[in-house]
Amino acid sequence: MSSLQHHKFLSRSPGQGFHHHHRVIPIRYATSITTITCTLIKDNPNSNHLVSQPQRVSRAPPVIPLTANDPGLKSTWSHRGWVATGCATVLFSLAKAAVGAASVHIWLEPVLAGYMGYILADLGSGVYHWGIDNYGDASTPGFGSQIEAFQGHHKWPWTITRREFANNLHSLARVVAFSVLPVELVCSDPVVLGFVGMFSGCIMFSQQFHAWAHSTKSKLPAAVVALQDAGVLVSRGQHADHHRPPYNNNYCIVSGIWNDLLDRNKVFEVLEMVVYFKLGVKPRSWSDPNSAWTEDEDAEITI
Amino acid sequence: MASTVSMTTRTQCSIPSLLPSPSKPRTPASQSFSSSSHSQFHGLNFSKPASASAAPVPSSFKTSIVAKVNKGQVPPNFTLKDQDGKAVSLAKYKGKPVVVYFYPADESPSCTKQACAFRDSYEKFKKAGAEVIGISGDDSSSHKSFAKKYRLPFTLLSDEGNKVRKEWGIPSDLFGALPGRQTYVLDKQGVVQLIYNNQFQPEKHIDETLKLLQSL
Repeated sequence: MSSLQHHKFLSRSPGQGFHHHHRVIPIRYATSITTITCTLIKDNPNSNHLVSQPQRVSRAPPVIPLTANDPGLKSTWSHRGWVATGCATVLFSLAKAAVGAASVHIWLEPVLAGYMGYILADLGSGVYHWGIDNYGDASTPGFGSQIEAFQGHHKWPWTITRREFANNLHSLARVVAFSVLPVELVCSDPVVLGFVGMFSGCIMFSQQFHAWAHSTKSKLPAAVVALQDAGVLVSRGQHADHHRPPYNNNYCIVSGIWNDLLDRNKVFEVLEMVVYFKLGVKPRSWSDPNSAWTEDEDAEITI
Repeated sequence: MASTVSMTTRTQCSIPSLLPSPSKPRTPASQSFSSSSHSQFHGLNFSKPASASAAPVPSSFKTSIVAKVNKGQVPPNFTLKDQDGKAVSLAKYKGKPVVVYFYPADESPSCTKQACAFRDSYEKFKKAGAEVIGISGDDSSSHKSFAKKYRLPFTLLSDEGNKVRKEWGIPSDLFGALPGRQTYVLDKQGVVQLIYNNQFQPEKHIDETLKLLQSL
């Protein structure tokens, strides 16, 4: 395994999907590699006979830095730039919505649209999180690096609390900048802009909410704790359940408001069954997690 | 029996909502629907006769394929491979009550819950003199590892191509996207005494079947 691939666990947070770091960190590497690849035979629609085996590519888990000052956890000027761009995009959308609303003397509809943006961002975060956690692997085109990052996060969940702000958010900020800017350049409807601004803002900051959900209460600002307790932001307890077996619930990470409904009604289980019977692919949550996904409780971080 | 559309005669169902809801007659929305209650997530017991208040079905919505196994009938025999690859026939179990439960897939959360619930109550089934057989479309090797992993003491049969499922007329869920979860209790003469369908409350299959077995 190359140093770059080791470095992937060190430098990428679950929210980072498209940005690659190429800095080498002077740490020791595992010397043995175990790779298991099984054949996945998809469902034959004619026979409805499923012969599928889980596809696993497990590698020796990379050694992680045990210092809080690891460069892979720090923000760079590039990170800050992207976060600034993402924030500016979101604020521009909201500002344009406010100006547009004032000009036509409406306020309820844009505010409601903004609220819906906040609500649906939570649902969107859950669906995306569910997909990334259960399907594909490091070699999946477009999503491989994110899947690998989420795998690393499940193995070392506390790392997210050590990432600096821009380091944690920059990848989502870049996605928001590219996807929202065209909308706000062509659209002037305050209702649409209110929704888009709130939705994209919540998605961009979901990584921060996620990091706060991994922190201990004593280390969080009182306002954040209050928002978590009020259900405005995803709570520490709710998200902790996601990191416990069977790892198949509490996927939403903005407010977590959808988690109870989705889990109680087994929505993701239904989706998993449909995907299995239509595509022949079993989700990871149906199997016992391998060592690459199980939390490394022996890893310690030193300051 | 295709001329009469009743509670037990349908092959496909529509689930308009994922939220649990009480059983009620459903308005058909496609050519595969029949008049009355369909497979639902919340459970459906076919041991009772069709309700007189069931809504009549427009003739264009009547299904042309009906369930072949109803309460009071002797289901067609089958021979399927078990988890060890051995051929097992339903006829072999004549003379004792049999619980035949059809489930979607090994390892899925609900199927695992159901199998483990049957396992945990297996002594009660044995006490009632009954055998338990689980059937899905998975192959023998999948059944073997599923049975081994969860220490299942009963037989799992591989219904390749879902032939038996279709022959017995087990309805699908979610517009055909999911194989239905349906359990039959056969008495000592091999006659069906209970048909219970419930996709997402798998443990209820055990309660309902035990309740009936204790009355046989």
